[in-house]
Amino acid sequence: MGLLVLSYLGSFLVGGRTVRGAGLPSGVEFVALGFVLGPQVLDLVGGDMLASFEPVVQVALGWLAFAVGLDFGYSGERRASIASIALASLGVLLTGGAVGGVTWVVVRALHVGATRTEQLLLAGGVAAACSETTRHAVRWVVQRHTARGPLAERLNEIAHADDLLPLLAVSMLFAVVPDTHVPTKIPLIDWPAITIALGLLLGAGAAMLVRSELRLEETWAVLFGVSLIAIGTTARLGLSTLTASFFAGLAVSLLSRHGKELRAMVAPTERPVLLPALLLAGAHLDFRAAPNLPWIAAAAIGARLAAKVVFGWVLAATSPSARKAGSLVGLSLASSGALAMSIGLAFALRFPGTVGDTVLVVAALSATVGEFVGPVRLRNALQRAGEIDLAGPASAGSKARRVEA
Amino acid sequence: MSAVPASARRGLFAHAKHLILLGGFGGLLFYVTRAVPEMNGGLWTIAAIGFLLLAGTLTSELLAPLGLPHLTGYLLAGIASGPYVLRLVDEHTVKNLSPVNTLALSLIALAGGAELDMAAIRRASRSLAWATLVQCLLVLVLVTAAFFAVRPLIPFARNLPIGPFLGVALLWGALAVTRSPSATLGILSQTRASGPLASFTLAFVMTSDVVVVVLFAAVMACVRPLIDSGASFGLDSFATLAHDLFGSIALGTTLGLVIAAYLRLVNRQMLVVLLALGFGASTILDYLQFDSLLTFMVAGFIVRNLSKQGHKLLSYIERTGTVVYVVFFATAGADLNVPLLRELWPVALVLAGSRAVITYVGARIAGRLAEDPPVLRRWGWSGLVSQAGLSLGLVVIIAREFPGVGTPLRALAIATVAINQMVGPILFKLALDRSGETSRIPAPSFPSIPPPPLPESSVVE
Repeated sequence: MGLLVLSYLGSFLVGGRTVRGAGLPSGVEFVALGFVLGPQVLDLVGGDMLASFEPVVQVALGWLAFAVGLDFGYSGERRASIASIALASLGVLLTGGAVGGVTWVVVRALHVGATRTEQLLLAGGVAAACSETTRHAVRWVVQRHTARGPLAERLNEIAHADDLLPLLAVSMLFAVVPDTHVPTKIPLIDWPAITIALGLLLGAGAAMLVRSELRLEETWAVLFGVSLIAIGTTARLGLSTLTASFFAGLAVSLLSRHGKELRAMVAPTERPVLLPALLLAGAHLDFRAAPNLPWIAAAAIGARLAAKVVFGWVLAATSPSARKAGSLVGLSLASSGALAMSIGLAFALRFPGTVGDTVLVVAALSATVGEFVGPVRLRNALQRAGEIDLAGPASAGSKARRVEA
Repeated sequence: MSAVPASARRGLFAHAKHLILLGGFGGLLFYVTRAVPEMNGGLWTIAAIGFLLLAGTLTSELLAPLGLPHLTGYLLAGIASGPYVLRLVDEHTVKNLSPVNTLALSLIALAGGAELDMAAIRRASRSLAWATLVQCLLVLVLVTAAFFAVRPLIPFARNLPIGPFLGVALLWGALAVTRSPSATLGILSQTRASGPLASFTLAFVMTSDVVVVVLFAAVMACVRPLIDSGASFGLDSFATLAHDLFGSIALGTTLGLVIAAYLRLVNRQMLVVLLALGFGASTILDYLQFDSLLTFMVAGFIVRNLSKQGHKLLSYIERTGTVVYVVFFATAGADLNVPLLRELWPVALVLAGSRAVITYVGARIAGRLAEDPPVLRRWGWSGLVSQAGLSLGLVVIIAREFPGVGTPLRALAIATVAINQMVGPILFKLALDRSGETSRIPAPSFPSIPPPPLPESSVVE
């Protein structure tokens, strides 16, 4: 009930017109609220309760990943350009590589994690969680300031096309330690392939079904049904729910004739699902997860910001509008949020203890820092590029509201 | 030139595709359930809900050309996936799905109440009054007699002395009076039927819910001394019943007014509001020991008749409820005890058949007395054959109150209700089709719906 009430209040707060006036693009305020309500502070949501919420969390994570997959490579109704997808992938590789590398070094130096496998999982998990840019942050600034122009468009497309690689990384990391109750012996490299194939097969099935003249509610039944099957089977097989659901959504988007309509159908469901998930992620946070956690977090976040700056230079080299935005244009993409927290939460559930909890804490801190850096730098970059209405945010905001109305 | 028209070929192709995909999804779950022992209990429930949703939807589509109702498809999908056939959904998972049932029942009751139009009830009050009187009395007396008649076929009843057996037979008669609001609403939602038969059946089934609860309490009080020789006739249960009924009606009225005010003043996030009502309010009502079905029904009735928000509420429930109904009926199918049905089917069939015949006769008599229009006299009985949750709920009370005879009686009731659950919806849909009340306008299909604007497009472009 508490989750439902929160979802209700949250959707009022951050949904619809108020999105431009209140609420943070990454949703970290809900993570903070969850932390305060959780076992580490007020203990209103205790450990037992959190365990009983696990199916709810898995459904929320799976559905979010499905929605992200459905929307992957699309900015609004437009398909992102190949250049944007390539740049987004490069950005993820750069950021993930830097964060993973630095975290690995720090973890090894500080002797965090009992085994080398744990250290690998920790570094990999932190890298996966820190490498994306939340789609909502760019949209938030763009909408709030009625930004128009090639840079706004490019950044928006990049934010919509950088989710693939982190989720692939998650499936590989989950394969490093297969669930012990899965009796089938499968080579390590095949597990990610199975995860992706499962998601693609389920998504292809759903796409074939929605090609028929189904009634509207039957279309919902197909989408929900396939998504829930993906979540349940991957959980039972010990695979990454996020990755399989993402690929299911991607397959539906690519193979269905009605991708645009499906995206429009599913998009409004994202927020009501996201808020309880963020709240539960906050309740799972444990800042005593690992010794020297502040150092790991500081190193990972520092590496992330540095990598973003470097990525900005790459962006500037390929785009004249990005050049106009200044040398720190890369920090415009510093915001992380829903997917990062989802990856953190998935790790916390799959690898409870030092590894999972550390990944979740770093993901939350990275989203918080990103919240302070990303939107400000993005606004600044768009202003420099001349893509923000010079009449000022207030007038631009009211204009945006008029456009929406 | 091909003998098969292109549209039929397309239909055949679509059905073949649905069948293959259903097999594929089922095969995947079959493999996973066999290959990997379950560790995380709650998580497989998620896959089970997904599969029941998908299988129910596809099976109902596959059966549609045969004229069978969607509900039958949902039930068959549930039976096939359930613990007694393919075991894709085991007993434990079926038990875990009970919150979905709670949600579905509250939505069904809310929708049922919101469908009841005071003016229509007033117009049909004569028919309703006669039908309620005749159906209750005739079914109670004649089904009790039928139970007596088939005594040699009932294993546990053969050795019962006549007194206790009379008590059990009366309980059986009271159970036979129960109908299924969920099945009625499920069929009406699918056919989008309108006309005297649809509105009479809905009003009768919803109001009979209250009548049945009172009748059942009266029968329980009467048979207690017959079955339990140490017990005496007491009116205590009526005091509890009165508390239940008045409390439920009062709460339902308040809830209805609140919902109407919300729909008028806020009218947002109804999906979350309905979920909160379904889960939260049901839990509170259970705690207070009020009848949640009656409370929600009254709430829906108030919204419909004391405000102008009834159609809005119905539209929201229809959007939210369809998916929930599929899971609800498919779970009911999965919960169906197939081995028990196999064991008891001859006597269950006789008892279900006799109830159907008595219901038919009762409807003819009531129709004549009330001077009903021909369509009601001819088909008025068809929506009264279905039985489902309420009957099973009452039989649980019997088993609890009279453990000696209650347990075998429960098994027989489950088998009989299973038959009524399968046959009833088919009969009602057939009647609606034949009487011309089924809507001829096709339901909006997905690709024909213009897409709503994407959230970003208006601003970014």
